Order: sequence, then structure tokens, then C-alpha cells
Amino acid sequence: MRNKLISMREAVAQYTWDGMQYAHGGALPVGTDSIAFGKEMLKQGRKDLNVISNCNTQQTNLMAAAGAIKRMEVGFAGLEVYGFANGLKRAVETGKTILEDYSNGSIPLRLLGGALNWPFVPATINIGSDEEWCCADRPDEYPCETKIPRIKDPYTGKECGAFSVLKPDLAAIHVTMADIYGNAIMLGTEWSRYELSRAAKKVVLQADFIVDTDCMRQYPNLVRIPDVVVDAVVYWPLGAWPQCSTGVYDSDEKEMFAMNAAL
Amino acid sequence: MDYTRQEMMAIATGREFSDGELAIFGVGLSMLAGFWAQKNHAPNLIAFTEGGVFGSTPVGGLPWGIEDNRISANATSFTNAIDALGCLVASGRVDNAVIGAAQIDKFGNVNTTGIWSGETPWSAGRYVLPKVRLNGSGGANEISVGAKKYVIMVTHEKKRFADKVDYISSPGYLNGGNDREKHNFVGGGPAAIVTTLGILRPDPVTKEFILDSYFPFSSIEEIKENTGWDLKISPDVKVVPEPTELELANLREIDVTGSLRKK
Repeated sequence: MRNKLISMREAVAQYTWDGMQYAHGGALPVGTDSIAFGKEMLKQGRKDLNVISNCNTQQTNLMAAAGAIKRMEVGFAGLEVYGFANGLKRAVETGKTILEDYSNGSIPLRLLGGALNWPFVPATINIGSDEEWCCADRPDEYPCETKIPRIKDPYTGKECGAFSVLKPDLAAIHVTMADIYGNAIMLGTEWSRYELSRAAKKVVLQADFIVDTDCMRQYPNLVRIPDVVVDAVVYWPLGAWPQCSTGVYDSDEKEMFAMNAAL
Repeated sequence: MDYTRQEMMAIATGREFSDGELAIFGVGLSMLAGFWAQKNHAPNLIAFTEGGVFGSTPVGGLPWGIEDNRISANATSFTNAIDALGCLVASGRVDNAVIGAAQIDKFGNVNTTGIWSGETPWSAGRYVLPKVRLNGSGGANEISVGAKKYVIMVTHEKKRFADKVDYISSPGYLNGGNDREKHNFVGGGPAAIVTTLGILRPDPVTKEFILDSYFPFSSIEEIKENTGWDLKISPDVKVVPEPTELELANLREIDVTGSLRKK
């Protein structure tokens, strides 16, 4: 087993580059996300990013405001009860960021498809709505027949859609605790971090706590991200701030509003 | 009695829920309506969030998100998005739900994605950028496709009640009649639109929403004035009973931070 613990600066320098397909997790607008990792990417000047987000978070809100996101696929683009994400909203309205809409259930399914190396994922959701017909990538095609193409179920003969699968270059995932080898425990909802950790070509964890591997042996069922899928681990307490890390810290209400107002 | 229009809307929404139902509530005010039903008259209503947070009730006020500590603190189970939105919602298991809307049309189609000022994103012959970019579908698309029935909770304003929505984020009855069948949706479609002025329900054949009832402080005229299509009135149109003292007391215990009392 390899000790994968490295610094945040090193992790970003080694695993990110301009124009890459970058995914972050949990990608929950108020809950957990790898916000510290995203801030370090901006410090190192990463740009032209192609971002895969289950939901927008303060990470992508900041990146979009900084002009670093060229294109983004999302299930949800706001900040829930904290309101619209000002930075992302402006980047989309001015055409700086191309935003491709899916939904909160379809992004995880597409990640699962990538994780399993499936050619596509059957779509019973997102079809019959503008998530199917309206394609920001191919603005001249309407109704778009290539975003979620229709296929025939070979068993019933009924029609459904086919989602493309996702295999991001990197997933930066926030976890509650990890050991130095990359075994990780997430408290609260996993959201789509399980699928994401298997779909991405490389995985970097940022953990609120680094714990001994013996802790993992006490509750191996809780280790939903095992070391085998992880490339690097970064120790970064409060790494989801100003959002929350379930069971450890709550969202910072003042900072959530102040940060969004500044973007 | 002293209550706000928002409180009446939440109570009327909550009255749509029955004991023993499996339900999912969106984030924000709709969540208060759902948990009010559980407290008030449906103790065996089983509720979960789209993040896969099960068995919890909000602690300390309106949760900031579907995943934050206010909704996670007393949960019995945490799973993930594919479980909640896929296995339970898109599969067709959920009995009832609430979603919100920025814009809605007479067939109950919901737009939460963007405002193109009364046009569609492609009316210029190609996709154009939205004037105002909104949050996108979130998990509402899965609910609209998969839930056996659901309620749409929305502030009653002319700009929101459009003849045709600019963008269909979550399909209602599409162009009316049996239009949902084209897409093999497993769910039954929206059962009611509950607003700050009254309740609309779909015609059983055409699926066009008509005025079913109005609130004690409202009137048919006021509702017609605030609806962007020529709203038909049910021959049995009636007045919704105002909240009882107990209903209101229960609501205010759920809505500790007074989100529904703001005028």
C-alpha cells in the first residue's frame, strides 16, 4: 500500500490542467463539496474547464465568476435556499459559460454508466422535456435528437432515451475522513460520490480528518470509497466551507450570502 | 384569524397528503408544507429527500438544502441520489410529492430553467441565451416523470402563469390529453397547482388546469387577473376552508424561522 497523502498545492499541480474535464463531489449546493480544491485550482490559474457537476456549488459559482469555466453540465444550477448562484448565472447569461442541463438523477446515472464502462444508460427521465430537446452544445438543432437520442427497448418494443456516459479526467471529492491510503468514510448523503469515484480517470480526496486505517477496519461497511480507486489524499480541515460537512460543521450562513453577493 | 397567504398555500398543499403515503419534498417552502402534513394529520407519512436522507424532520428551522444538518441531524438512513431519485422516484414508487415553479402553463408544465421573455430558446431559429438564467430542474424532473401524483406549489402572479412556458424543465401534461403517453412516463402527472390565491386541478380529459377552489381572502376575479391564460372555472368552484387554530399552530412549530410569515 502506498501513502497517498500529499499537499493541496501538489495535488492540484499534478492532477489538473487547462481545458480538462473536471468533476467535483459531492457537488451539493449547501452540503459537501471539494471547495478548497477548487480554490487552489483558481490560485494556480486553471482555465477553460469543462466541468461535470451533479449540482452547482460555491466552488463552481466562484470558478464561473472568475471566468474559468468554458462549459458545464449540471442537474441543478442554484444554491437552494441561499438563492441563485450569481457568478454562474451571470456567466451563463453573458455566454461565457455554456451550460448543458440535465437533472439531479440523470447526472449520477451517467456517472454510473461511465463507472461500469457501459455504452449508454437507458433514459426514462429527462425525455419529453427541454432537457432532451434543447442542447446548448448544438444550438442550431431543435428539437435536438442527438443529446438524449431515442432508442427502442429490445424487450418491450417501447421507446426510451439513451444517456451518454461520463468519465471525467479527474474527480476531486470531499470526504469526512480518510486514511493515508485513500480509504474514505462519508457522513451524510453520498449524493453521487460513489459513482463519481469509479467513473473518473483519477480521484483526489480532500478530507476533514485523516484517521488510522484501524478506524476503517472497525466499520468497513462505511468505507464506500476504498483505496483502490483513489490516487491522492489531501488533509484539509473545513474543506467544504462555507458549505457544510454533515455531522462535522454546518453551512456558514453569513459567508454563504456574503460570498454569493460578492460574485 | 391572522395568517399569511404563504401559510394558507402551505396548509392547502399539505392537505393534499394522506397518512401512509411515501413522499418526497423539494427544498424550501414546499418542504415545510410536507412536514406540516406529517405533523398535522399524516403521522405515518414517510418522507425522504432527493439526497437520500430518510426518517428525519427539520431541526432548528427551514433547512438550507436537501442535505444540510437541519435535515440530517435526526435521520435514520443516508443513501444517495440514485437510490432516492432513481430507485424510489423515477421507478414509480413514490405516492406523492411537492415541487415548485418559476413559470407554469395551463397543462402543468413547469419551467425552473430560464426566462426567455415569453419566447422559447429556439424561436430565433437557433438556441439563444436566456434573459434570466434560473436554477434548472434539480430533482423535479424525476418527480414529474415518476411520482404517482404530485402538487405544484407556486406564487400566483401573471408573469408566472403563462399560456406556454418558455422551457419545459419538468413535464406536466405537455400539450394536454394523453400526451404523456408518448414518452411512457410511469407517473400520473400533477394532481393540483396550489397557489397563494387558490387551487387549480386538471380536467380529467383535456388535462387543462381549471380553478377548483379559492382562498377566503381571494376571489375568482383576482385569480383570473393573475393568470396568463383564459382560466376556466369549475362549475363546482368553492372556497377553501381557512386554517384552523391547530393547523396554524402546527405549521408554526415546523416553520420555526418564520419563512412563511414574511409578507
